[in-house]
Amino acid sequence: MDVLNVEYMLGLVPVLLRYLPLTLQLAGIGMVLALILACLFAVVRVLRIPVLNQLTIVFISFFRGTPLLVQLFLFYYGLPQLVSALTVIDGITATIMGLTMHFSAYMAESIRAAIVGVDRSQTEAALSIGMTNGQMMRRIVLPQATRVALPTLMNYFIDMIKATSLAFTLGVTELMGATQKEAAGSFLYFEAFIVAAIIYWIVVELLSKLQHYLEIRLNKAYSR
Amino acid sequence: MKTLLINTLLTITLLASAPLLAQEGPLRVGMSGQYFPFTFVEQDELKGFDVDVMNALAKEMGREVKYETANFSGLFGMLESGRIDTVANQITITEERQKAYIFSDPYVYDGAQVVIKKGNTEVESVEDLKGKTVAVNLGSNFEALLRELPYADEINIKTYESNLERDTALGRVDAFVMDRVSASQIIKEKPLPLELAGPTFSQITNAYPFRDTEAGRALRDEVNRALATLRDNGTLASISEKWFGTDITQP
Repeated sequence: MDVLNVEYMLGLVPVLLRYLPLTLQLAGIGMVLALILACLFAVVRVLRIPVLNQLTIVFISFFRGTPLLVQLFLFYYGLPQLVSALTVIDGITATIMGLTMHFSAYMAESIRAAIVGVDRSQTEAALSIGMTNGQMMRRIVLPQATRVALPTLMNYFIDMIKATSLAFTLGVTELMGATQKEAAGSFLYFEAFIVAAIIYWIVVELLSKLQHYLEIRLNKAYSR
Repeated sequence: MKTLLINTLLTITLLASAPLLAQEGPLRVGMSGQYFPFTFVEQDELKGFDVDVMNALAKEMGREVKYETANFSGLFGMLESGRIDTVANQITITEERQKAYIFSDPYVYDGAQVVIKKGNTEVESVEDLKGKTVAVNLGSNFEALLRELPYADEINIKTYESNLERDTALGRVDAFVMDRVSASQIIKEKPLPLELAGPTFSQITNAYPFRDTEAGRALRDEVNRALATLRDNGTLASISEKWFGTDITQP
C-alpha cells in the first residue's frame, strides 16, 4: 500500500476531468457577475453617492467579514427556512450567488484602490475640458484603473476557482466533490487528491499565462 | 441598484428552476457517496448497498430515483429544506432525530464498533477509550453514543467530515467508532492497517428519514410497503449477502 498506485491515478484523470467544466462554469459565471457588482460598488464608493454608498459599505463589510462557507449555508439552507419557495435555489445557484457576493466585496475594494490610484491630474484634465463625471469615469479613469487592477482581479479569479471546492457541501458534485467520492470508494486518498491538485494547478497555470498576455496588451500604451 | 440586481438574480433563478416545484417526478434520495460499502463511487459510478436497496425499492414502488450526493453534514439540511425526499445513508434511528423526522421500518440492524490501528495494544474494547482521542463522523450518531458512556468526559472526541479511517491508520487518533458492518468491510477490502477492538457496544437500527408532513407520511407508508415485500421475497437478504456475505437486514 505504500507504493503509489499510478494505474489508478491515470484511470482517474478522465473521470475527474468530466467535472472540470462545472468547476469552471461556477467560477466563470461567478467572476463575470462579481466583476459587474464590484465595478458598481467601486464607482458608488468613489463618487460617494449618498445612501448607496452606506449600503455598499455594509454589504462589503458583511461579505468580507464572514466565511464563504457560512454564506453558502445561509443561501442554501437558511433562505428556504425563511421563505419556503426559495427552495428553488439549487446548489449551483447558491454557489454562484455566494461566490459572486463574497468575491465582489473583495474585488470592489481593489477596483476602488485602482480608481483612486489614477493620477489626479487625469481627472482634473478630463473635467477641465467639460466631461461629465460619467464620461470621465468611462473614458479616462476606468481604462487606466483596469491596468492597475488586473493582477489583483486575476488573483481573485484564481482564488474563486479553488473556492468552488466548497460546493460539494451543497450537493454540487464538482471537481473536488467527485474526488472525495472516488477517494472514499478506493481509500487511495493520496492518489485521488494529488490528481485533483494537479488538475487545479494546470488550470491556474493556464490562467496565469492569460494574465501575462493581457498585461502585455494593456501595457502597450506605456511601453516604447 | 444593488437590490435591483439581487432581485433580478433571484427572479431569474426562480424562473429557471420553476419546473422543480412540481411534486411529480423521481424520488429524490440524498446520500454522501463517501460511506463504503453503503454508498461510494468507483470510476464515476455510484454504488453500494444503499444504492442497490434503494433501486430495488423504487422498482417495487414503480418510481424513478434521482440520487443527490453531498457531504454528510449537508444531507439533513437538504431534507429539511425539501430538496430531497429521504436520505439513504445508514441513518440510525435516534430519539433526537425522531423529534424532527419520521422513520421508515428499519432495514439494517448493526452495532457500534471501535476500530484501531493494527498493533495498537492500548485499546482493546470500548472501556479502554478512557483518556483517548476517538474519531467519529460529523453529524453521525456515534458521537452521541460515545457521550452516553459513563466516562464520556474522559474521551476526547474528534469529528470528521470524511477520511477518519485514514487518520486512524496514520495514528493521528487512537481509534474511530463506526458501525460494525462497514468497519469490517473496510478492513477486509481496503489497504489500511486497521483492526476491530472488542465486541460491538450498542445496538443500532437504521432506516429512512422523512419530513413529518402529509406528503412525507404518505411516502413513508409507501416505502414501508415496498420494504415488507422485498423482505418477504428475499431481495433484501440477497442484496445484503452480495455486499457483506451475511444478512444484516434482520434483527
